[in-house]
Amino acid sequence: MSLDRQPTVIARTVTRLVVPLILVTALALLFQGHNLPGGGFIAGVLTVTAFALVYVIFGLDYLEAELLDRNPGTRYETESGIIREYGTVFAVGLAVAVGSGIAAIALGYPFLTQAVAFVEPLPIYHELEVASALVFDLGVYAVVVGALLTILAEVGSE
Amino acid sequence: MTQVILATVLGLLFALGTYLILRRDVVRVVWGVSIIGQAANVYLVTMGGLTGQSPILGHGGEHPVACSVPDAGANCVTDPLVQALVLTAIVIGFGTTAFALVLTYRLYQEHNTLDLTEVTVE
Amino acid sequence: MSADLAVSTTHVVVAPMLAALVTAVLTLGTRRYDRLQRVLSLLGIGAYGVGVIVLTTRVLSGGTLTYQLSAWPAPFGITLVADALAVFMLALAALTTVAILIFSVAYVDEEGQRVSYHPLFHFMLLGVSGSFLTGDIFNLFVWFEVMLMPSYVFVVFYSGPRQTAAALQYTVLNLVGSALMLVAIGGIYATTGTLNMADITRRLADPAAFGIDPAPVLGLSAILLLVFALKAGIVPFQFWVPPAYRAAPAPISAFLAGVTKKVGVYAIVRLYFTVFAAGVVDGGLGLPGLSGESFLAFFGPVLFLMALASMLVGGVGAVSRDNLDDVFAYSSIGQVGFIVLPLAVVATIGDHSFGAAATDLQVLGVIAALVYSLNHAVAKSLLFMVSGTVFDAADTIELDRLGGLTTRYPVLSGSFFVGSLALVGIPPLSGFFGKLLVFDTGGQALAAGAPGAGLALAGALVGAIFTIAYLSRAWTKGFWGDVTPAVERGEQSTVLVGVVAALALVVVAIGVGFDPVYSFAEAAAEAALDSEGYVDAVDPEVVAHE
Repeated sequence: MSLDRQPTVIARTVTRLVVPLILVTALALLFQGHNLPGGGFIAGVLTVTAFALVYVIFGLDYLEAELLDRNPGTRYETESGIIREYGTVFAVGLAVAVGSGIAAIALGYPFLTQAVAFVEPLPIYHELEVASALVFDLGVYAVVVGALLTILAEVGSE
Repeated sequence: MTQVILATVLGLLFALGTYLILRRDVVRVVWGVSIIGQAANVYLVTMGGLTGQSPILGHGGEHPVACSVPDAGANCVTDPLVQALVLTAIVIGFGTTAFALVLTYRLYQEHNTLDLTEVTVE
Repeated sequence: MSADLAVSTTHVVVAPMLAALVTAVLTLGTRRYDRLQRVLSLLGIGAYGVGVIVLTTRVLSGGTLTYQLSAWPAPFGITLVADALAVFMLALAALTTVAILIFSVAYVDEEGQRVSYHPLFHFMLLGVSGSFLTGDIFNLFVWFEVMLMPSYVFVVFYSGPRQTAAALQYTVLNLVGSALMLVAIGGIYATTGTLNMADITRRLADPAAFGIDPAPVLGLSAILLLVFALKAGIVPFQFWVPPAYRAAPAPISAFLAGVTKKVGVYAIVRLYFTVFAAGVVDGGLGLPGLSGESFLAFFGPVLFLMALASMLVGGVGAVSRDNLDDVFAYSSIGQVGFIVLPLAVVATIGDHSFGAAATDLQVLGVIAALVYSLNHAVAKSLLFMVSGTVFDAADTIELDRLGGLTTRYPVLSGSFFVGSLALVGIPPLSGFFGKLLVFDTGGQALAAGAPGAGLALAGALVGAIFTIAYLSRAWTKGFWGDVTPAVERGEQSTVLVGVVAALALVVVAIGVGFDPVYSFAEAAAEAALDSEGYVDAVDPEVVAHE
């Protein structure tokens, strides 16, 4: 596909449909990850595929221009605009993951110790499983999303 | 039989990876490294729990029997440890492959070639 | 998580790693405030040093400490083991990295520090500390990767043609090494059914009770040796060393040569003298030259050849180079040979045919390797930082363009002189005792009639002569003589020279006050050889075989 041609209307429509689905699946994987297949890494990678699809079909500046409603700066500037924010997502995710481990020490348990609590009764859900591992997973999720999007945007803009 | 097929596939993967690493084109080399890494992952899964019990703590302290143990009952479990290992290894391999590709791009920018014979270290 | 699991909550074991990890995160988060970032980074390395000191005193007074991450009991969970050997290596790392980081802050330009230098530095330190502390062979792989990934970025830090080429070579080699390591670890898991190092030791010591065959483990551990030799830069896996050390910024070359290399050495000592030493192949291998039945007896001759080749290749390479960094890089190949040589000699006599004297000699050999590692870590970091300071002042480290540094920069030249003498092994510097112990090991092995001990002594002698040759060549060509234009123009940085001079004082101090260092190394060597003590300390839960 040559770069100056727009993607077909089919590609654009399918992307609009598929991206929300991917994101919801990613969230589902993230929330069940503490004791079922899934987890922060998989969810993060899946989320990034959604972003990658948007980048491929609508171009690199679409996210900033259309969704965040601002002027996407010059592409060749390092650490500009959205790339910088991806870096922040990475750093925050790492901090959350490490913090969840240190919290265990503060409570007198070894580093990274996890716990689980069952909240019941709840309407409709009846029982809700609250696992501290989810916090760690959230951190991993943010790290993966931040790191991969940084790579994607950096390399993509070259 | 599964073992034979897996062993053949692993051998082919390692051979392919080695062949690619010995090429002159940098991109092929990175491909080769990546393939060898994946072959190691497949190998890890294959190696899972060929002896002994699954290293997981069951409820109440009893240890579930691994399915790979001969005449394991219907309640056997597959070895979850190798899967955890492979996941870790995949994540690490993913990061390093991404780095290697970016590095390849930088190498191309600096040397204007992807032919390893034209890239000198000194 | 049930509370009845016997869990030790001695958080001090994890303290050094946490210090490095938290500092890495904090410096990553404060990238936009470069002064704050630097302050945090320095505070972090301070916290790391304090953590290591506290851990060291606790371990030396109270014995081995273990820590179960997430409170899962061994062998299911991830174990951290802080025994005397691990804390010796941690102390070595802390001593060197504190100086290196202070040097970096003054050496690396503002832009470079702001982008990624500090987080990567602490991640690398985290990987190193994790490798020293972990009691789980797969975790060793993970920490190796944590240590290597920042080092890939550091090699390509200046991003020129030379750096990208060196980084590609370094990265591809290490990635292949990692894949091989994974293969070996997977095989060991399939053979022994465990990844916990203490558990592997226990199972290898009594293979019949656990229904395992130790023979495959011998081959798998040979693959692992290849990976560790690659990390330590031992011949024939040395060729990545000079380009990578030359490409990296000077403080990082100091880190790679001083500390990262020692991770390979540590892994060899820990795995082959503590863990795999328990293994015996019935009837021996039946290969010429490999007569013994124990695993060590097999690795002895292999390590022996690698050590001798390293000393020769490093020596010949260093004598013929015209660039300070290249001289030091080849020198570190040779010096690793000196570290591995006593290990090889005592591994060969690991077979019990030498009786009770063999145990004492083994302790001596490991002490020699550890003391030499400490000496090399401090002295070689010192030398790489001297090279960095010279580059900072004169803008070149080519020996042809240098000259008269002694008249222009007396303190810097004095530090280089101290560092070189330490590598050569002149009393009362740290290197003297390192060399003395290496030769003592060889001599005692010769007296005990160990095969190849004479050759080891001869090799060490040749290696020592090469060391004198290349260092005096660098001294006369670069530091003596007439002041060259490049040297005349430059201006030295007080901080850089201060750090280098302080490290030179450390080299002297280790030599003058050698008694406590020796007893520390002795405790570490005894811990390294005490397989049963290691198993008892970790105490993997007994799982009966079907």
